[in-house]
Amino acid sequence: MPLTMPEEILLLMLDDKSGRLQERAAPSGDYAIAGAVIAELALHGRIDTDPKRLYVVDPTPTGDALQDRALAQIVAATEISDSRFWIETLAADSDEYREVLFERLVEKGVLKRVEGKFLWVFPERRYPQISDKEEREVKARIMGVLFKDEIPDPRDSLLIGLCRAAGLFPLLLSGQELDRVQARIDQVADLEELNRSLADAIREIYAQIARFAPMV
Amino acid sequence: MDITETTIGGVKVAALKGRLDTATAPAAEAKLVGLLDGAAKVVCDLSEVHYVSSAGLRVLLKAAKQAKAGGGAFAIAAPQAPVREVLEISGFDKILAMYATRDEAVRGIG
Repeated sequence: MPLTMPEEILLLMLDDKSGRLQERAAPSGDYAIAGAVIAELALHGRIDTDPKRLYVVDPTPTGDALQDRALAQIVAATEISDSRFWIETLAADSDEYREVLFERLVEKGVLKRVEGKFLWVFPERRYPQISDKEEREVKARIMGVLFKDEIPDPRDSLLIGLCRAAGLFPLLLSGQELDRVQARIDQVADLEELNRSLADAIREIYAQIARFAPMV
Repeated sequence: MDITETTIGGVKVAALKGRLDTATAPAAEAKLVGLLDGAAKVVCDLSEVHYVSSAGLRVLLKAAKQAKAGGGAFAIAAPQAPVREVLEISGFDKILAMYATRDEAVRGIG
């Protein structure tokens, strides 16, 4: 069964062996997950966007609990906001989204749940990979788009934007490869308004962090 | 969505009218992909389109992709200023052929 984008991006953000989220993926990983949920709603024709607004086109639930939860929130909103607003708003629930997504990946046989102890004291749940087929397939698709010059499918443009947002490319590519395809990553990602909004939102997080970090 | 078809010098011109968004995207896509069948050359005239959403942009991209894959050609023509702005912000002008007028587009891909 094919993975949804939120499942794909979470899988990519996981360290395969330890089953923990890559350090690098935080804090922008939350935004990436929110972006992935919105991306699915867009591709399912429930919402649409333009540079100024994100709006509901069809309030009918999709059948996916996470997408429908987000959709209900957007439908209930009393005023129209832009993509960035919704990325930031939905990201507030990312802990819950992650839990649901982890469980789904366990159900689909991609991950297993390991209850462990972090630092021998704090209970910790990890999700090491047991099937690498899905992740290999996602990575192959992404690399296929980055290393060839074809016009990408919207789903792939969106996914590449999500990976960029989660800071995953330095992990997926060597320094040399990254230099070679950085422009292509940006070109493909920026085709989608959602990805541009995601990049703006994340730039703002890091600007805030820099602002409040002590000067060393 | 209102779509008028003409043929100019071996190039099919589809003139769209109104909004290109989620509601009108399926019809627009079906029309453009249909016209591209058989490695055809197709110009999408946007002079009467006042709004293109992200869903609308995906239709244009799919048509361009289809053209490349099928050995045909696809170009967009005469986008209105706000639409052209969105196309430029998204970098669509670098990834597909875009012309200021319908006739330039027909000449460009014909």
